[in-house]
Amino acid sequence: MKEVAEFYLKKAQELGCKYVEVRAERRSLSGFILKNGNPDISGFDIISGIGIRYLINNNLGFVSTNNFDREKILHVLKKSINTTRNSSKISKDIYFSDEKKETANYKVSQKEKIRDFTEDRKLNILKEIDKEINKLPQRYLTLHDEIAEKYYINSEGSVISSVIPRISLMYFLTITENNKSIQRYMPNGASSGYEILKKWNLAKRIPEEVELLRNNLKDGISQTKGKMDLVIGSEVTGIAVHESVGHPYEADRILGREAAQAGESFVNLNMINTQIGAKIVNVVEDPTLENSYGFYLYDDEGIKARKKYLIKNGMINEFLQNRETAFELKNKSNGCSRANNYDVEPLIRMSNTYVGAGDSSEDEIIKETKKGIYMKSYMQWNIDDKRFHQRYTGSEAYLIENGKLTKPVFAPVMEVTTPTLWSSIDMIGKKVEMYAGNCGKGQPMQGIPVYFGGPMMRLKNITIQ
Amino acid sequence: MHYIKSELLKKGMDDVIISFDEAEGRQLKFVNNKVVKTGSELTSSINIFCTKDKKIISTSLKDISKSKADELIKKVINFSKNVSPNEDYNGIAKGPFKYKTNSDYDKKIIDMNESDILEKAINKALESSKRVAGNLEIWDLKHCLVTSNNVEAEDNSSGLYFSIRAFNENDESGHMNCCSNTLRDFEIEKTAERAAEIATLAKDPKEAKLGRYPVIFSHMAFAPLLNNIAEATSIYNVEAGFSFLQKLNQKYGDFTLMDDATLQDSINSCRFDEEGVPTRRTVMIDNGILKTYLHNTSTAKKYNVETTANAGLVSPKPFNIVFDCKKGDVFDVKEGIYITNIWYTRYQNYSAGDFSTIPRDGAFLIKNGKIVQSLKGLRISDNMLNLLKNIQCCNKKVLQIKSWEAEIPTFTPEVLINNINITKPTQ
Repeated sequence: MKEVAEFYLKKAQELGCKYVEVRAERRSLSGFILKNGNPDISGFDIISGIGIRYLINNNLGFVSTNNFDREKILHVLKKSINTTRNSSKISKDIYFSDEKKETANYKVSQKEKIRDFTEDRKLNILKEIDKEINKLPQRYLTLHDEIAEKYYINSEGSVISSVIPRISLMYFLTITENNKSIQRYMPNGASSGYEILKKWNLAKRIPEEVELLRNNLKDGISQTKGKMDLVIGSEVTGIAVHESVGHPYEADRILGREAAQAGESFVNLNMINTQIGAKIVNVVEDPTLENSYGFYLYDDEGIKARKKYLIKNGMINEFLQNRETAFELKNKSNGCSRANNYDVEPLIRMSNTYVGAGDSSEDEIIKETKKGIYMKSYMQWNIDDKRFHQRYTGSEAYLIENGKLTKPVFAPVMEVTTPTLWSSIDMIGKKVEMYAGNCGKGQPMQGIPVYFGGPMMRLKNITIQ
Repeated sequence: MHYIKSELLKKGMDDVIISFDEAEGRQLKFVNNKVVKTGSELTSSINIFCTKDKKIISTSLKDISKSKADELIKKVINFSKNVSPNEDYNGIAKGPFKYKTNSDYDKKIIDMNESDILEKAINKALESSKRVAGNLEIWDLKHCLVTSNNVEAEDNSSGLYFSIRAFNENDESGHMNCCSNTLRDFEIEKTAERAAEIATLAKDPKEAKLGRYPVIFSHMAFAPLLNNIAEATSIYNVEAGFSFLQKLNQKYGDFTLMDDATLQDSINSCRFDEEGVPTRRTVMIDNGILKTYLHNTSTAKKYNVETTANAGLVSPKPFNIVFDCKKGDVFDVKEGIYITNIWYTRYQNYSAGDFSTIPRDGAFLIKNGKIVQSLKGLRISDNMLNLLKNIQCCNKKVLQIKSWEAEIPTFTPEVLINNINITKPTQ
């Protein structure tokens, strides 16, 4: 990979490109599906290829191929440069912020190595879980692992190698009771070897969750509408922070670069230091969290990753940036540029986004709520493309009466604007928990591994539908 | 391909399908009226599906050489020893088959200078809007396939895709897409004009009132929902709990839903499915009655029916979705809402059909058949079975739509559906 990358960096420069970066990637993957207890299909793959991004006459071009034949790559590179030149009369001049060159070589270590796990052991992980829930009519379980090797170089002298293993296990279940049903979808993911499965403990956790959801289906009341306090569990905090803080703070959205796909943002460039939430709210974006699903130490523009506060004491503090937006905003990139594969351009992406811990225990939050709902988990959610109007529908949820959880509530709905949501928070729990997801953006669509999470939080006086 | 197939069979595999795909594509991404990135791609891949004693394995080979193929074959054999059988697996189709002629193929597309047509389209939209963003994509694909059951097939396809979103003031936007497999039928300027027209009509939007309304779904707005409905007819999704269409021969409304991979003008037509069965038109829902699920050979045998030629080796899938219902004037409503685009459709319960989705871009209050007000801040929160039951009529003009949320090309008219629940944030 190294030789090929270096060869094409040089070739692109010879062809007149002022700036060039090359990513050579190799991902070894395997995947397994267990549908209603039956092993459906198993597979393995090696996805390898090269992606070259360049600036020629200040116009941006990207070319990719999985063909390592040097003549072929040269042919597509020349053709790509022609396309970029042909489009120059209708193209925008693109500039990148000046950044420090970086040299690094890092990898995530594995205790129980992916390569040492045989296929039958992997399939057995799913079978062990399925055994505990095999009375459910519909169970859909998937397990994927990958080792992603990346070699990045650019014409400014950065050279970065990385090896990141990832494990993901998703379950989708249908629970039925008296001709009614409730469904649960939950992805789990980490940058790790197979030791992460012990931490997840899914063969124990999933059946417990199924029983709680069954109670919700059986005994859940639905006449709990109106204004009241809403306590959201860390899972709901996680999706809310991802959708209504992480996304609208992506600087490319704010500048309109995703306008025809993932949309724009209700936030504008002048809103830094604007109070958007309660003073106790802090939102962190941190790619460097060990073993996180969104882990990386250098982004796909060779910028060193760092922890950053998107919201500090309730005020908008920092946007997610790449080198292109940093130039426009006259500052430095904060290392948020990611591509999900060699064949796509890097875009501004979240990594691990969470609400920082508060000072209340979960017991205190419930105890201090006179009348409200506790929405522990969710199934349906969505948000408009400026990230202003959102809806979350609870899965496991309970009525809170005089500081106690009294009965299950069936599918409570919160439909709220972003400023209302973040301004209504008056209690934040101490315990931060993270959840895995694959976030979609771009054309072609890039699903990228992320974590989102936070602690339990209480929202005052929210309308429940 | 033949070498890999025969080596896998020699080494004891039962069923083998090998396909080869070669793709060349380009993209111009434009933002604020200017191109911000050109993209080019060249890929090739040999995809392998094989089974041994009902154990199903899939993999692919990108580095195409004999030595790499031998290495991969060895890995496949070892892999097959360690996985478990799929008791539901019932084999692949038996050939040989005869195939009909290709859908329209325009080999000139990949060598065109696409920036000229893009410039015209952007300028057309800017005649009545302030800024535009979107993508122009072109591609050329070669696809061939051999199987252990005497199937040999090949196909070529070409395509153009254009997506444009036009903006005026805050919350005034319009979005329109078009796609074609020939340059001749590619209506890029008309599409740009329509996006700008919607943005202009969307002037000064006001919050909508909550409640149930007759809703007119434009082509762009209905295509993502039809993708959801057609995917719910895949037997795989029915088995896994992802479908609200759970009973064959049940009446779900008054409409017809088909899959047709033989359409001459679709960007996703193909002469054969993933196991080489000649494709056809399949009516899944006929005058509201669910007649069949989508099947491949293996799932069809399990249910004692014929394959619908929709392999997907894992999950049967639609190629091109075609919708029809009673013709009428969709705007003939006393008070209703016209929605020109939706996004972020999510389910609370797939099997019950409970979902919500968010209208984006121009949405309009209709009174006595006329647009009287531009709207914003809407959400549709309803149930798919209710939605299907309340389909009233459609207009005659059918467009081929592919979009971010309608990945399967969809041939749809504009459709009137009664009694749709509109919600919005109340705080």
